[in-house]
Amino acid sequence: MREFEYVRAGEVGQAVAMVTADPETSYLAGGTTQLDLMKDGVLAPDRLVDITRLPLGGVTRDGDVLRVGALASMEELAADPTVAERLPFLREALLMGASPQLRNMATIGGNLLQRTRCRYFRDPAVSACNKRRRGTGCAAVQEVARMHAILGASEHCIALHPSDMAVALVALDAVVHLLGAGGSRSVPIREFYLLPGDTPDVENVLRHGELITAVEVPLLPPGARSTYLKVRDRASYEFALTSAAVALRIDGGVIGEARVAMGGVGTVPWRATTTEQMLEGSPPSPEVFAAAAELAITDPYVVPGTAFKVELAKRTVARALRTAATQGGPR
Amino acid sequence: MADDMTGGVPVATVARVGVTLTVNGADYRLDLDSRVTLLDALRDRLGMTGTKKGCDQGACGACTVMVDGKRVLSCLTLAAQCEGKDVTTIEGLAADGVLHAMQEAFVRHDAFQCGYCTSGQIMSAVCLLAEGRAGSDDAIRQFMSGNLCRCGAYGNIVAAIREVRDAGGHDA
Amino acid sequence: MGASVLRPDGALKVSGEFAYSSDLWLDGMLWGATLRSPHPSAWIRSIDIGPALAMPGVYAVLTHEDVPGEKFYGLENKDQPVLAIDQVRYQGEPVALVAADHPETARRAADAIVVTYGEREAVTDPRVALERRMLVRHQPVRVGSTFSADVVVTGEYEVGMQDQAFLGPESGLAVPAEDGGVDLYIATQWLHVDQGQVAPCLGLPPEKVRLTLAGVGGAFGAREDLSMQIHASMLALRTGKPVKMVYGREESFFGHVHRHPAWMRYEHGATLDGRLVYVKAEILLDGGAYTSSSPAVVGNAASLGVGPYEVDNVHIDAYGTFTNNPPCGAMRGFGAVQACYAYESQMDRLAAACGLTPVEIRIRNAVSQGSRLATGQVVDTPAPLAEMLRDLDAMPLPESVSRDLRDLPGGVGQTTHGDGVRRGVGYGVGIKNICFSEGFDDYSTARVRVELLGGEPHVLVHTAAAEVGQGLVIIQAQIARTELGIDHVTVAPADTQVGSSGSSSASRQSYVTGGAVKTACEAVRERIEKDGRPLEVILQDGPIEETREYRHRRTFPMDPVTGQGDSHTQLALCVHRAVVDVDVELGLVKVVELAAVQDVGKILNPLALEGQIHGGTAQGLGLALMEEIQVRDGKVLNPSFTDYLIPTILDMPPMQLKILENPDPNAPYGLRGAGEPPTLSSTPAIAAAVRNATGLPLSRVPIRPQDIALA
Repeated sequence: MREFEYVRAGEVGQAVAMVTADPETSYLAGGTTQLDLMKDGVLAPDRLVDITRLPLGGVTRDGDVLRVGALASMEELAADPTVAERLPFLREALLMGASPQLRNMATIGGNLLQRTRCRYFRDPAVSACNKRRRGTGCAAVQEVARMHAILGASEHCIALHPSDMAVALVALDAVVHLLGAGGSRSVPIREFYLLPGDTPDVENVLRHGELITAVEVPLLPPGARSTYLKVRDRASYEFALTSAAVALRIDGGVIGEARVAMGGVGTVPWRATTTEQMLEGSPPSPEVFAAAAELAITDPYVVPGTAFKVELAKRTVARALRTAATQGGPR
Repeated sequence: MADDMTGGVPVATVARVGVTLTVNGADYRLDLDSRVTLLDALRDRLGMTGTKKGCDQGACGACTVMVDGKRVLSCLTLAAQCEGKDVTTIEGLAADGVLHAMQEAFVRHDAFQCGYCTSGQIMSAVCLLAEGRAGSDDAIRQFMSGNLCRCGAYGNIVAAIREVRDAGGHDA
Repeated sequence: MGASVLRPDGALKVSGEFAYSSDLWLDGMLWGATLRSPHPSAWIRSIDIGPALAMPGVYAVLTHEDVPGEKFYGLENKDQPVLAIDQVRYQGEPVALVAADHPETARRAADAIVVTYGEREAVTDPRVALERRMLVRHQPVRVGSTFSADVVVTGEYEVGMQDQAFLGPESGLAVPAEDGGVDLYIATQWLHVDQGQVAPCLGLPPEKVRLTLAGVGGAFGAREDLSMQIHASMLALRTGKPVKMVYGREESFFGHVHRHPAWMRYEHGATLDGRLVYVKAEILLDGGAYTSSSPAVVGNAASLGVGPYEVDNVHIDAYGTFTNNPPCGAMRGFGAVQACYAYESQMDRLAAACGLTPVEIRIRNAVSQGSRLATGQVVDTPAPLAEMLRDLDAMPLPESVSRDLRDLPGGVGQTTHGDGVRRGVGYGVGIKNICFSEGFDDYSTARVRVELLGGEPHVLVHTAAAEVGQGLVIIQAQIARTELGIDHVTVAPADTQVGSSGSSSASRQSYVTGGAVKTACEAVRERIEKDGRPLEVILQDGPIEETREYRHRRTFPMDPVTGQGDSHTQLALCVHRAVVDVDVELGLVKVVELAAVQDVGKILNPLALEGQIHGGTAQGLGLALMEEIQVRDGKVLNPSFTDYLIPTILDMPPMQLKILENPDPNAPYGLRGAGEPPTLSSTPAIAAAVRNATGLPLSRVPIRPQDIALA
């Protein structure tokens, strides 16, 4: 790890000013991604501004919206009673997303900014990585890939977005609140993440120094059914091969509202809008779910090691839909 | 290593940070390289080597300690972040030379072999009970899954936790 | 003896006070770091250590030119350079060393060394190596001449490269001594074979290289070969300061040998009623860049390649190849694991072809006392395999319905529930040689001393045997208490101040070191009895001390052409039944229960024994479902615990155990080594259960979700 200066921020404005003023200064929150990547030599900031003591925590409900402070921990959010009652699949995604220890450390803001597990990105000895250095190529496309993306991917980058929580938040149309030196703004989470295109190093709309302060999560309507389904190589403590966050409102035998997002497949958490469109207005039958899941993956970019994800992701969505429809009540 | 660390480029002046760590109830004033993790501060500066380094990247749980009553991974926590916080390590569990009930139970049930993961397992298990999550064997397995044991003593770990739960009023 | 005596080191381990090798500390010590090859195969054109030496805080930078003595070492064949000379043969091969005043400085200095490589063709496909006859060993087994039968099943099987993945990475502390020698505190499996390899490379006589066992954070075979023993010693001798070396997790993946990946082709012929007529097999094990213990691994695969079955006609060719892949060597099960997966898969195919159950086909062919193995060796001690299988079959099966883990208080869990889930049951049988085989002079030494301490007789047991977590220190103390009838027993730290105890491997320490402690105790007892006076009185004249070596029955090499020979001294059996729920749509496997029956001859400590069976079973589960070092073109793709997965507590199900005690009259107390056999049989049992649930052939382990869902 390269040397850095450690500064503990006393108040929010000061933190934002400090980071904004220096391109080599970064925020430090839970540290579970930041320190890991600094140890690997992927990140090497000159200065870290520790924001963990800033008053940006807390989970509060305001009507049908949950306001989650950026520094709330994954564990704190998972333990919130409103989440259990009205966002059960978000709770599942949080609990499946990391070990208890990591959930105590990792913050909601940090989780949104979790970096990819692509091994080529994480190994500075690999020179071809457009995400680390634009224009160097993509080793993952050339060499062995498996835990990689098939949607939003291209020959420039197939790095996967690893978050489970963000998949549920994308399904929920959460809104990310940002504070920069020039003021605050709010960004719908689907606009927050950027597809890699030919600039995989730019992962989201954050300007340098801009800080996530909160996430607003609309609650599911009472009676909605939801589930988070995660397929992985071992039972726990492992990233998704494929996952699906699904919420359904079923009125009188017809799907009134469907929210479907996928993890493990996209360079960003992936909303399955075509699937949703087909579901809405249809009866919640296994046949409908299967047909809708078929639409979840269109125009995938696959390499030999990731081809299996096309079918597995569809099955994951179909299963999640069936599970949500039959057992996805509040927990 | 990153490009800027190769080729013998002289390293910059080491950035330092003063930290007061409260570990197992005692205060320690340390002047640290700011890169030092809580794990390394405990092991290399305070000589408390009970907390183990298994992977140094948050993937094994061997370095689990309690910070302000919550289990965290000390390998991904900077020592500087713990200023003013209460850190409890495996060395702090026994009181007046008497092992904590969880330590006793781990010995009685042979819930380890090589013992390298054991400090982390026990810290995690003590927190598990405090969290009220040890209601069933399935729950114990679910919420202990962030602590790997390569010797495969998992069955005995479950038995040890179950026994402490049943005896101790937590999670009854 | 026979009681669940608790570990004497238990209180230390649960309180964090047990000193593992990585916990050692001396004021003023330096930190060592290793520069390793990034290439699987290359010439070294030049090494420029100048930039590293110039860095503040750096005390020494060493290359092969600085190796004071012999330049090569190795367990069976001294073919591995201490530091690469002119060429590298695998990715991760040590090239240079640094000692510095801080680990980070040492690491950076190592990275500052400029090595110019000329990359060359790497041979990384063992099938190509076989064609080119780049062989570390070829061991045939030939018996009988009937190779046709009414029922014939064939299969090709693969086993991925498994890692021992102990939790405590390699570490050690070398301290220069005033006599010009070195004291090395090290986590190892075999102090004396380390000493025997380190001393010549340092150009020192063995007595000047003194090793003491430091706390071992798991071993499983990975500490049988040297890692940094010579390196740390070289740095200590060069700098005149203590040098500590600790590998990180990634370096650990490059710092030790792995389990050989295997490619196997089997053909089984049987009568219509399922009795084996012949077995033909080709077993290809990739040994990687250096010899390590590959010859013995190949020997095991060959001699045990049929499994514990009676068959008169056998034609096996077991090969170990040299390639530019990571070196492979010892891991729990040692050559018997790979073959077991293949022959057990074959037995299931044969059962299906003959219309028999998996249990029945195995019972019909099971060895028993008096059976002749393919090597001609007669099983001359109890081998009640049929009884074990019947016991296993009679164990109750778990409930048929998986509970929905999402109903936990915590509220979340597995995805393996609901529709698409099918139950499967599978069986596996394994046979493992205990102790070293093929003529190896396999012995252990124990020194037992009885003396008065505070007016009471105390026993001090001193051996060089490595406690690696298996509970050997309890067994030694239990034996001393039993033999001498004295309660106060201390097991001294293991070091090279006493004769060799051999390796903590091959499930051999209870047998061989147990035998040595027993024999030394008997010698002490004999002196006490001969003296005739009460013990307390005798001891007032001074301590009584006896040192004894213990050897198991002699073994013999396998004939290089026919494979015939009494190559093993003891054979041990374990059988497993696995019950799995498979989500056939998503490819997820939940192992619901594992049941095992093992014959251990004599139970010395039930608690420690059960721990060994649990642990061996868990590592077999890992191989069946998730563990594989992925190597492509000689490069390791997943050297981390994020990417190399070992089972969590949620993956490992509850176990039912039945332990039999049919004594082996040749062994101390009639015991049978116990640590390895469960590692063999759990893997094929789980694979068979997944096949049973899915109907898929699944000829390769580990079985991944996509192998099931998208077959």
